[in-house]
Amino acid sequence: MEQRIVDFIAGLRAAGVRVSIAESADAFRAVDHVGVMSKHTFRSALHATLIKDARDGPTFDALFPIYFGSGGPPLLNPTGELTPAEQQMLMDALRQLAGDMRRLMEMLLQGRQPNPSELRQAGNQVGLQYANRPFQQDWFTRRMLRQLGLDQLTEALRELLEQLARQGMSEESRNKLEQAAAENAAALAEQVEQFVGENIARKATEEHHEPQEAELLERPFSSLSEAEAKALQELVRRLAAQLRSRASLRHKKGKRGVLDAKRTIRANQRYGAVPMEIYHKTRHLKPKLALICDVSTSVRYCSEFMLRLIYELQDQVSKARSFVFIGDIKDITAYFDEDRPDVAVERVLEDNQPGYYNTNLGNSLATFAHDHLDTVDHRTTLIVISDGRNNFSDPRVDLLEMLKRRARRIIWLSPEPPYLWGTGDSDMPQYVGCCDAVHEVGNLQQLADAVDKLLD
Amino acid sequence: MFNSTDEVREGLNGQQYVASDEINTVVLLAEKLQKPILCEGPAGVGKTELAKAWAGATGRRLIRLQCYEGLDETKALYEWEYAKQMLYTQLLRDKLHDVLAGSQTLAQAADRIAQEEDVFFSERFLLPRPLLQAVTAGDPVLLLIDEIDRADAEFEAFLLEVLSDFQVSVPELGTKKATSIPAVMLTSNNTRELSEALKRRCLYLFIDYPSVEAELRIVKLRAPDLAPQLARQAVELVQRLRQLDLKKSPSVSETIDWARALVALNAAQLDRATLENTLTVLLKHEQDVQRAKRAISAPSAGSGGTGTAAGGAETPDIEYRNLRPRRRSE
Repeated sequence: MEQRIVDFIAGLRAAGVRVSIAESADAFRAVDHVGVMSKHTFRSALHATLIKDARDGPTFDALFPIYFGSGGPPLLNPTGELTPAEQQMLMDALRQLAGDMRRLMEMLLQGRQPNPSELRQAGNQVGLQYANRPFQQDWFTRRMLRQLGLDQLTEALRELLEQLARQGMSEESRNKLEQAAAENAAALAEQVEQFVGENIARKATEEHHEPQEAELLERPFSSLSEAEAKALQELVRRLAAQLRSRASLRHKKGKRGVLDAKRTIRANQRYGAVPMEIYHKTRHLKPKLALICDVSTSVRYCSEFMLRLIYELQDQVSKARSFVFIGDIKDITAYFDEDRPDVAVERVLEDNQPGYYNTNLGNSLATFAHDHLDTVDHRTTLIVISDGRNNFSDPRVDLLEMLKRRARRIIWLSPEPPYLWGTGDSDMPQYVGCCDAVHEVGNLQQLADAVDKLLD
Repeated sequence: MFNSTDEVREGLNGQQYVASDEINTVVLLAEKLQKPILCEGPAGVGKTELAKAWAGATGRRLIRLQCYEGLDETKALYEWEYAKQMLYTQLLRDKLHDVLAGSQTLAQAADRIAQEEDVFFSERFLLPRPLLQAVTAGDPVLLLIDEIDRADAEFEAFLLEVLSDFQVSVPELGTKKATSIPAVMLTSNNTRELSEALKRRCLYLFIDYPSVEAELRIVKLRAPDLAPQLARQAVELVQRLRQLDLKKSPSVSETIDWARALVALNAAQLDRATLENTLTVLLKHEQDVQRAKRAISAPSAGSGGTGTAAGGAETPDIEYRNLRPRRRSE
């Protein structure tokens, strides 16, 4: 059992759950106390000691039955209810069958448990040894069952029963056999499913290398696969939590500002109310943001993650207005009032599908200056997320200059590295002059760093 | 003390707390391993209530520390009562004269005062806050640290120290060590991520909204006067409301409040009028109330409002989702 728990913990780690040595030690102590008699209690004990984040719950739920499953229900032997003559008949009939089908029939009609080598062999024949992803379980289960001959079962069973009928087996006994075969087939399917799941989990554990988080953070937005983008969305939340605690710690260090009279009086009671230690109110100067995000194909991921991050960090920001543009600008703040950030971002992207070469930042800036100038005042940090590729239309740098005079600062986040600025239809060099800071945000790590500076 | 999950169940039940098997196991383990429980879950599912029931069942005294932003050591651990010290110094002035009488030099006087120092830095002037109370208590106690996620990150780090060795050092008095290790429970509403270090030291318990049957048991226990038929209807409705995309889902405590409200109003059945009048007990946002009303009336009103072809009347929440205003999508 101990080895089993160790394997299970390794499996959890392989699936991306962080389990420390101390926690696995706790798990063993917990199991010592509650014992393994009640599976439910055992499960709760492991859950309480190993899983410290509600988000990891589903992983635990998926892996637990694989490691601590019963291996599926046993196959039952129905022949006990047959007369000796009928048993003999069945045995003779089975002996006439060919190799694979005979083995299957023995399991289903005589309740012989499949032995591990049989399962392993069938597994190897369908390539189970290469499976290492949990979602492959269903597919390999089906393939293995076919390998074991279950797809030809109906046919073979009918022939067998007909043969037995000719030999004079009673109808009642035949019905019993048929029913038992169906039940045993279901049990076998479950056993095979467990076997496959266990193998996949083991394989995944063996192949597991350190979580690819760091790698993903550094991966350029331009080369993200769909699955990686999904994984990153998860990561954004953790990143936001990190940034938040860093930002709040930073606020605490402030030594200037308004006098905190209450705290100062309190602290100086010990000096006979002579103010020796002065305390200041911690000043939370939260930035007021206006985001202009390019959601054309080239910058889409970057904008998406930026929006996610900013809205996850809403409590660190006093006010955020957001706009997206492709050909023209569009106010999307309302989406975030209606829905949770993750849902809202999805809806924004869904509603603003990119077209072909229709990005027009110049035009978008013109509309912004015309319709939404009230969002920008001397306290606003204006953030533009774009690669500055304008499809050779007028860049309208004059408008950005006007905005710079109004805003506290303008920060430009470009997913392109500086050496590409100015190539082709890029108007970056002209825009750069108007910005207080330009950050290259080619991957999530760089984006997080940029946001961190923003909250400074 | 508890020795099996059944005993835990009995104990908590005795305190009118309906606990799931998981809760029983975790409480048992907390007793056995002497580890804190970190309890997370949506607001109002009975996290704080569990601590009270646990304390009641084991005969522990409950010491509660409510966390908030800006909570610091002086409010959580201990504080000297400076005002009292000052007052005593004033009142004891004459006595001090006596002590100092006859001292020849300043140094001699200072020495004499130093001998009396203990008087002013004694437990008499020490104001113990919840953490120190829990450590120094002679009787068995349960320390409830409520809503730890609201406290700052630094406080969390400080708490870690206290929870790891259950000792507190007061520079003037020396180190106080707990004679018996108190049971500790932390609750969090998950408004921010807690540190890995804190999570590692705790047993983790996630309490989710209960199932229909469990919630029905709770309602029967807490609002026994409600007719069984009505109780079931009420609980089923609450469960349905939780499926909706609301700003704040109705909690178990709100279900109980609602059940009691129904009793107080002498409601015989859950008709439309009763529902509309009492829905505000369950839902605390105007927007939520509107959404809920729409969702509840959707199935009975047939294809009311915008006629969506999809979805049957038996799944109002799904139909409701379709009804949500959608922006132009191409």
